[in-house]
Amino acid sequence: MSSSTEQAVAAASPPEEPPADRVRSLLANQQFALLVALIALIAFFTSRNSVFLSSDEVANILADFCSVILLGVGETFVIISGGIDLSVGSVAGLSGIIGALAMRGMVGHQPEPLVLITGTIVCAAVGLGIGFINAALMNWARLVPFVATLATLGAAGGMSIVITGGAPIGQDSDAIMFTQAVFGPFSYPALIVIAIVAVAGIFLHYSRYGRYTFAIGSSAFAARAAGINVRRHLTSVYMLSGMLAGLTGMFIYLRLGSGAPTAGSGAELTAIAAVVIGGASLTGGVGRLTGTVLGALIITTVTSGLLISNVEANWNQVAVAMLIAASASLQALRTASRQQS
Amino acid sequence: MRHTIGDSATGRRADWRVLSLGLAAILLAGACSTSSATPTAVATAATPTATAAASAAPTAAPSAAAGNITVAFNMGAEADPFFIAMNTGAAAEAKALGVTLIWQGDPSQYSPATQIPIVDELLAMHPSALIISPTDPDALQPDVNKAIAAGIPVVCVDTHVTDLSKVLSFITGDNEQGGSAAADAMATAMHYTAGQTYQVVVGESSATTTTNTARLDGFKKQIAAKYPGIQIMSVAYSQSQAATANTNVNNWLTEFPNLKGIFAIDGTNASGAAAALQAHNLVGKVALIGYDAYATNVELLKKGVFAALIAQDPAQEGKMSIDAVVQYLKTGSNSGIQAQVTLPNIVLTPTSSADQLSKYTYPTA
Repeated sequence: MSSSTEQAVAAASPPEEPPADRVRSLLANQQFALLVALIALIAFFTSRNSVFLSSDEVANILADFCSVILLGVGETFVIISGGIDLSVGSVAGLSGIIGALAMRGMVGHQPEPLVLITGTIVCAAVGLGIGFINAALMNWARLVPFVATLATLGAAGGMSIVITGGAPIGQDSDAIMFTQAVFGPFSYPALIVIAIVAVAGIFLHYSRYGRYTFAIGSSAFAARAAGINVRRHLTSVYMLSGMLAGLTGMFIYLRLGSGAPTAGSGAELTAIAAVVIGGASLTGGVGRLTGTVLGALIITTVTSGLLISNVEANWNQVAVAMLIAASASLQALRTASRQQS
Repeated sequence: MRHTIGDSATGRRADWRVLSLGLAAILLAGACSTSSATPTAVATAATPTATAAASAAPTAAPSAAAGNITVAFNMGAEADPFFIAMNTGAAAEAKALGVTLIWQGDPSQYSPATQIPIVDELLAMHPSALIISPTDPDALQPDVNKAIAAGIPVVCVDTHVTDLSKVLSFITGDNEQGGSAAADAMATAMHYTAGQTYQVVVGESSATTTTNTARLDGFKKQIAAKYPGIQIMSVAYSQSQAATANTNVNNWLTEFPNLKGIFAIDGTNASGAAAALQAHNLVGKVALIGYDAYATNVELLKKGVFAALIAQDPAQEGKMSIDAVVQYLKTGSNSGIQAQVTLPNIVLTPTSSADQLSKYTYPTA
């Protein structure tokens, strides 16, 4: 990707390709292709059923989008740094449950905003903690990211079942009301999530922290040689991913009004799919947050679109799988043609 | 773990770390098993932890001193509230009759792949009898045959193996009747009048869950027979995720503005649908019929979010299965033991008595 960020880490990346002319670069731009795909999907589903563009339906898509993108943002940082975080789905589930336990005693006795703020802090703290455990397993037990986060994926998922005994925790109807749309299709939680994504995008692409993340993903060895404390940086990246997973847990709690025992299981794959569809490379050093945003929007649009056009639900997985393959192939073909020219 | 850290320079230190990590893991496993043991006080006494059972191969016999009869009970998924409720019934009856109960199953996965190794281990302990909820009618048949060949009587509970000819008894809830009762409850809640049309939808867990399919069959048959005005517009799957069920219902509410009823066929669909109706201020306007009397669902029933809940009686199933094997073992004959017992599902409504609500609410952790 010929972005300014990549120039910033030029020391650690392969030499830049010769500048292409504007039209060609626009067509070759994955973001642009994704935007076209998204618009085409929306047009298609609207032609199938006109309610697709209604404010209600946009609100539905946004609600799904929020939980995917929160995980997707963390996963984008992790994947750009050259790692992978498989634990995010289970962490979201476990955080939501521990948050629900913390809130259970307060619901009805304390003002609702205080309850929700407490829950948000507890969820974020659980996520941060598990993110730290992930980093510790990598730094001290020397596990590769895949294995370390696979371990916490299992542990967090199992703990969720043990703690809940398989049944939802808590019953908080006021929390559900908080997810109602207030500005057009936007609810307060949706606005908060959008703000988080915007800040994370600036952080990733326009700050030193972001440049370090790209540099480590391109070559951890070169980054270390350039004086970056790679271990410390990666620790913070996995803690960020964990914290965002914790906030996802809180978001799911808001939607259901309870901590659900199976919440988040499998969500890591949706998050990774959003990142991959968005054009990031699983080998690290390449990616843009806008790509992940578009990837998440496309996934949630397809999910809701198929539902509303009454397509057999199982086709949804097939459709998302095809999107992943098409998108990854687009990226690979572009890289190949660039290397030939 | 060893392979990834086995580089020569740091090998020793890394080994030490692995050791401490392993120790921590064992401590954690211990902590988990004690916390999950609380609802299963009687049962876990003679039971190794579930996780250990899946990996190691202990041949240690259960403490035979606790009585002459040892009953091995293998359920579908230990953490499912349905089976937790079944455990309370079985454990109480085992205690009353003075028999030892081994309660063992996969913690959370409802799958023959995880169930078969556990059954094999239970049989290696030579229990006096085996009570089992097969997660697959064919996959568990060989294990059931093996037990019977070894002289261990078998009772199937909730679900069954294909060949029941040599099984002592099969005790189950009637899912098809439950689906049919759900159709009646929905018609009542919608004030069904002949000649009008009512759009309804159904949330299932997945296309392959046999209990869900039986409930939907019963629901459809009753509609065809008695309520021709009810139209099932769509069926969607939650994949055992309340959040997915919530998404499904949100989309339905947009797609079908005149929706009159939702049949949430399992616990995850019930939670997701209840939240969606509350968020859209549609409580009381859309008749929501849920399945499974989780404590949270019963609370929502009292508030009127659910028009009705269909409850099973897993505690009774557990109790009756213990009774059947103990009677057989004590008398040595199967006379008086019914080959099949089908317990009706119960319809709970907001007007059900407090006694009835508390009786059928599944106990939770």
